[in-house]
Amino acid sequence: MENNSTPQSPDDARAVLAQADQTRQRFANGLRLPTGLHPILAAAVAVQVGAAAYGIAAQTTAGLAVALAGVAVLMGVAALLLYQFRRINGVRVDGLSSQIVLGTGGTSTLVYMGGFGVATWAAFESRWWLVAVAAVAAGVGYEVGTLRWWHSYRHDPAAHAGGVSPRVLVALAVTACLGLVALLIGS
Amino acid sequence: MAKLDPLIHPPARLRVVTMLSAVSEAEFATLRGVLEVSDSVLSKHVSALAEAGYVRSRKGVQAGRRTTWIGLTSAGRKALREHVAALRQLIDAVD
Repeated sequence: MENNSTPQSPDDARAVLAQADQTRQRFANGLRLPTGLHPILAAAVAVQVGAAAYGIAAQTTAGLAVALAGVAVLMGVAALLLYQFRRINGVRVDGLSSQIVLGTGGTSTLVYMGGFGVATWAAFESRWWLVAVAAVAAGVGYEVGTLRWWHSYRHDPAAHAGGVSPRVLVALAVTACLGLVALLIGS
Repeated sequence: MAKLDPLIHPPARLRVVTMLSAVSEAEFATLRGVLEVSDSVLSKHVSALAEAGYVRSRKGVQAGRRTTWIGLTSAGRKALREHVAALRQLIDAVD
């Protein structure tokens, strides 16, 4: 029979709090990331950066299609990974969604923007080897940010569980696509 | 001075709320498995917490089967913070 008594003394309070914390920690430690999440996400980001760099530099309809295809690849991979995470664990963690789709960590954002900038410049200069290197660097850096977030989450789940809701993520993805189209049409 | 919240005062209910603070939503079956309680016991706790506005639940489909997803509301998070603070004050009073 489960003990539902209320804490009457400091010792009771300490025991109740410790038990609740242990339950949460055991729960968080039991969560598993989908197999291959890190290399798959890094590859998807690299594809998206490379495609966007090519599309911006090409400034053609075909370039626009390539850039949008890159975004679609990243969004599709992210959606699949998040679905798998939910199916494996029976939970949804918006902090993870934000990290995977938006790269909201400082490291992720910095490395992604740096890689994107270098790749775009290199595409305008037709230095395709540098586009590839910058895209891969952006993908790896983005993924390192996700890995760091995961370790932080496992250490303190309550502090890192929050994030952008799925509806907002979809709205942001649509806005990003429309912005890319506007950028390429206007250029 | 923070006050103990009578609704999440029972240890079993505190464990439910604390667990939910680690995620945005959890499946009913996942909660039941980690807490090692029966369906009826967990249902009673969830119903009481939902009536108070501390948790929200919605029906969904997971791997082709119907399931219930439960998440902590902002009122629930606030109540948990205040309750934990009250427990810590109780502990600190003698440390």
